[in-house]
Amino acid sequence: MTVPRDIHAYLGAFDDIPGTRVFTAKRARQGYQLNQFAMSLMKPDNRERWRADERAYLDQWPLSDDQKQAVLDRDYNRLLDLGGNIYFLSKIFSTDGKSFLLAVSTMSGMSLEDYQAMMIAGGRSPEGMRSIKEGR
Amino acid sequence: MARITAGVASSHIPALGAASDLDKTQEDYWRPAFAGYEWTKRWEAEQRPDVVVLVYNDHASAFDMRIIPTFAIGCAEAFQPADEGWGPRPVPVVKGHPDLAWHIAQSCILDEFDMTIINEMDVDHGLTVPLTMMFGKPAEWPCRVIPLAVNVVTYPPPSGNRCWALGEAIARAVASFEEDLNVQIWGTGGMSHQLQGPRAGLINQEWDNRFIDGLVGSSDALRSIPHIEYLRETGSEGIEMVMWLIMRGALGRETRLLHRHYHVPASNTAVGHVVLEPVGDAPDVPASDTIEANSPAAQDLIS
Repeated sequence: MTVPRDIHAYLGAFDDIPGTRVFTAKRARQGYQLNQFAMSLMKPDNRERWRADERAYLDQWPLSDDQKQAVLDRDYNRLLDLGGNIYFLSKIFSTDGKSFLLAVSTMSGMSLEDYQAMMIAGGRSPEGMRSIKEGR
Repeated sequence: MARITAGVASSHIPALGAASDLDKTQEDYWRPAFAGYEWTKRWEAEQRPDVVVLVYNDHASAFDMRIIPTFAIGCAEAFQPADEGWGPRPVPVVKGHPDLAWHIAQSCILDEFDMTIINEMDVDHGLTVPLTMMFGKPAEWPCRVIPLAVNVVTYPPPSGNRCWALGEAIARAVASFEEDLNVQIWGTGGMSHQLQGPRAGLINQEWDNRFIDGLVGSSDALRSIPHIEYLRETGSEGIEMVMWLIMRGALGRETRLLHRHYHVPASNTAVGHVVLEPVGDAPDVPASDTIEANSPAAQDLIS
């Protein structure tokens, strides 16, 4: 059953999916501190310190300036580009009292209402969203 | 002897847990999602499994990025519902089965599956929502549960083929456990969904239903689906369906369909649910070809 796999081809294919950031080792390394910062918000004490002064709390973490700014902006697509993973980043929007649905809708570029309507109508079709190169 | 009598698969959508906790299951939006589990609730009440081996993924609750085990088995006496940011779900404590869990861990390791052994962890919605869907809201869960956590977040996750083979190894482990136990194996997570990026909200009903069809009968075609196909066709989080293949592998060569349910919409994710049983007296899985698994001396050490 096992077939030889070219790790470069395996990873390269992930860049061909429209509008999708796969959490590869490269992103996991880049986002390690960012994701651990997000996880720290699981603790009530940390949430209080974060809410009192976001910038000061962030400055305790060895994040890049880009990562810090994207956190302050709640720019989730940018955070995914900078190594964030959605399950970890969810601790940020949960602390903000925002739902998964709302956060996900902001990444899709749609309003919450439009995104909700799309999901109720059966979700986003994969048609034309499978491959950038092949346009299918 | 312990035996695997059935396999259950289900999405583990957090909003379904919240709808149950807040008694919203009869609202128009949620009713059709829950209706497909009514058959299973009645069936589970008759089956009365002693133990469920529950395959799921942790969602940044028990594990952060410090340690990322590919396959981790919970060997503790009990597991508390995790606080995922809104306080723990108001559901019973999950009681483990340490003797069987340790036995499966040892047997799988000798079978060349390098399990991570977990003696303390909380379990999040990935594990507790399926329990709610199958058992409702009892004062305590009606069976012991062995959590088996799979990394499907950091790439690469295990291949579908590896998951299937792990299921076979679990079936061999259960069959060699001396206590007479009715064991079920559940695969949870999936079906199509994408929770990130501009493509968020992807749902592929046609592909999902084909996947459910593929679990029934004797074909093992699903084990060769590459990760990229899950990603392209079912969204970035649709990769969780590899966990259903651990369940399927543990049921052996051939399965019979007892119940299926598929529903959209429910939050961001397609609701898929299937109940299968092995054809024959017990799962017909291939014998292990590993050295230690065939060594009586090594096997004596784990009995």
